[in-house]
Amino acid sequence: MLRRLALAAALAALTAAGPALAEDDAAAKAVEAAKQYSGTTITVVAEAGLQALLDTQYSGPEWEKLTGIKVKVVELPFEEIYTKTILEHQAGTGGYDTLLVSPAWLADVVSNGAVEPLDPYIEKYGVKSEFDDVNPAFKDWMIYDGKTYGLVVDGDVLVTYYRKDLFDDAENKTAFKAKYGYDLAPPKSYKEFGDIACFLTEKYQPKLYGAGVINTGYTHFFFSERFRNHGGKFFDEATMKATVNSEAGLKALTEMVEQNKCMSPGIETWGFAENLSALNSGEIAMTISWPPLGRWTQGVNIDDKALSWVPATKVKDKIGYAVNPGGHPQLASGFLSAVSPDSKNKDAAYLYAQWMHSKAQSLKNVMRPVGLRDPYRLSHYDSPEYQALWPTAKDYLLVLKEGASQGLADISFIETFKYQDAMARAVNSAIGGEDPKVALDNMAAEWDQITEQVGVDKQREAYKVWAAKPSAYRQ
Amino acid sequence: MTDAVLTQTKLSSRSLKTGRRAIGWRFATPAIALILLIGLFPFFWSLAVSFQNITGSNRAGIWVGLANYERLLSDLRFWAAFGRTLLILAVALPLELIFGLLLALHFQADRPFKRLFVALLVLPAVVSPMVAGSMWRLMFDHKFGPINQIIAWVAGEPVVLLWVIKPYLAFWAIIITEVWQWTPFMFVLILAALANVDREQLEAAEIDGAGRFRVFFKIVLPAIMPVLAIALLIRGLDVFRIFDAVWQLTRGGPGNKTETLSIFMYIRGFQSFDTSYTAAAVVLVLFVLSVAVTLILKRLRIAR
Repeated sequence: MLRRLALAAALAALTAAGPALAEDDAAAKAVEAAKQYSGTTITVVAEAGLQALLDTQYSGPEWEKLTGIKVKVVELPFEEIYTKTILEHQAGTGGYDTLLVSPAWLADVVSNGAVEPLDPYIEKYGVKSEFDDVNPAFKDWMIYDGKTYGLVVDGDVLVTYYRKDLFDDAENKTAFKAKYGYDLAPPKSYKEFGDIACFLTEKYQPKLYGAGVINTGYTHFFFSERFRNHGGKFFDEATMKATVNSEAGLKALTEMVEQNKCMSPGIETWGFAENLSALNSGEIAMTISWPPLGRWTQGVNIDDKALSWVPATKVKDKIGYAVNPGGHPQLASGFLSAVSPDSKNKDAAYLYAQWMHSKAQSLKNVMRPVGLRDPYRLSHYDSPEYQALWPTAKDYLLVLKEGASQGLADISFIETFKYQDAMARAVNSAIGGEDPKVALDNMAAEWDQITEQVGVDKQREAYKVWAAKPSAYRQ
Repeated sequence: MTDAVLTQTKLSSRSLKTGRRAIGWRFATPAIALILLIGLFPFFWSLAVSFQNITGSNRAGIWVGLANYERLLSDLRFWAAFGRTLLILAVALPLELIFGLLLALHFQADRPFKRLFVALLVLPAVVSPMVAGSMWRLMFDHKFGPINQIIAWVAGEPVVLLWVIKPYLAFWAIIITEVWQWTPFMFVLILAALANVDREQLEAAEIDGAGRFRVFFKIVLPAIMPVLAIALLIRGLDVFRIFDAVWQLTRGGPGNKTETLSIFMYIRGFQSFDTSYTAAAVVLVLFVLSVAVTLILKRLRIAR
């Protein structure tokens, strides 16, 4: 009798717990709901290269196995994803089902009607229960003007990586303090970043240089971060005149150009790969870059063939992580998974997005060797599985969490691409030798022109929506 | 033959001609219509779009008359790209012509392994300009590229020339890539033209004691001039729309210091989605090119 009672109690407990578990598990719900579309194919947009391998090698086949829905991946270079998304929508081809959208493009894709509002799907398929787990900085990304248009699948935030062995070296510490009057430690400001770069370069060159930076591609991210950390604002909200050539802008750009002088010869040509290569091979003491470097410098999860180009790490256990100088790193790019309004199978397209965004699946994604997906959920930062990947993974995750919580969002208003393009060109021309003041004045003039073309009032409204986000300008 | 018969004969020959012409038109009309559709429809479409204000965020667009053209005329970036394209044309084209001509004159005579060398020399023209641009970008790499390495050997000290970053070097990087890739095109055309120069004239000049330069300028050059003119025209138009190599090398940077017309229009049209403005630029460039080509053809008398 007692055994029967115990069995009944256990069964009752399981029955009660069952629905609760299912209710919370957005991945399971997505899989279950998607089974009705078994036999269909969805076309998923992915960034060409490593990002796409996540869909082609891992998530795509797994999704097909679980639901019977085949995933066809369209690979596009980063700079073409926005363009092709808009063009496909304008042509009404229905060529893409699940889209990949950088939060910076959200205002534009929404105003072009190129993304489907997701709120009805979110209600229908119950992913909301997992929204509280998303770092608030990234949750911000998903919404435009009160509606949800995408589910975050990649939480980018720039991080400072530095050589602990060189920073902890007693001789270096003493000499640095004697020269600069403060302790050698991860830089708290960009001035300190420059000081440390020059100090270490002076001592170790040509074997090692004090810092490396990314100077080609994505330069607008790096300028935006410095500019706002120096207190800069992009517009005067009353007139909507560009204020990028303000004192803060000049300080940020001049610093960027000047600090190059304390770095490796040819630093002006460095992109992401050159910078990574230099850090991994021990040629630089410090850099600012995206999160995968934390894993790659440690040699974690890089045995995939696709990563054979990443130079073998010579700095294992020597890399420390810090929130960027200024305390407010750029949430540079990142990705949302969205649904095309032209998709012939919107539900299946959405369910794939929900599954990729879900707590359970996203943890796998952020730990994969390929995919370049970075943590964005509180559960990612706290994951014992992730923290066990290497001895200092916990510190790394903490820096990602803190950085993101205090991070600065990419600009996102109407025709963002034009503003970003003008900014990148100004930065590149200053790096190429133009006077920073002239470069910034040209950029401001170009921004004013763009604003006038868009319509000052129209742009002001869009700017206000963006500027109201806590991540637009941090205090 | 009576007048009536004559009149009858004339009439029947005229109606035969008219009939033939009608049949000719019937045969030619589909082809002409197709060519007009393919060639002129996009132009008229662009023309119509250029009078509107369609952008990425304003797809409906309204008629704005000549506003886009007015904006274009005062757009320094457009005119800078225009001037830069002309500058590349002015530097690259003569270099390609000179090198092509020298190579053709060299290989005109029988040389050891001539066929092999000619085949090798033609290879760059077969490569896609995108690939050529990527390859030269690697060649110009400050760290791993052989160009800086060679210069360093010659200079006897390490040299860091930032070929695709410094504007004055980036321009020459583009010129070198362009000349490397398209000199073979000139070379092959001129080599073929040289093979057709009248041997008898050359022999007569030799017997008369004319010097090599005199023979070249008085006999060879006039003989190959029509081919040279066509080659220059084709290459000139090609250079005018230069895109791939520049895109791979510099993406139009630093800033927009190496932006050519095609890159300007690509960025405006397909990245900024300034659709109507780009259409206006296309129409304007097409107009300028049409006038220039017509004048050149008229002057060269090769259109007849």
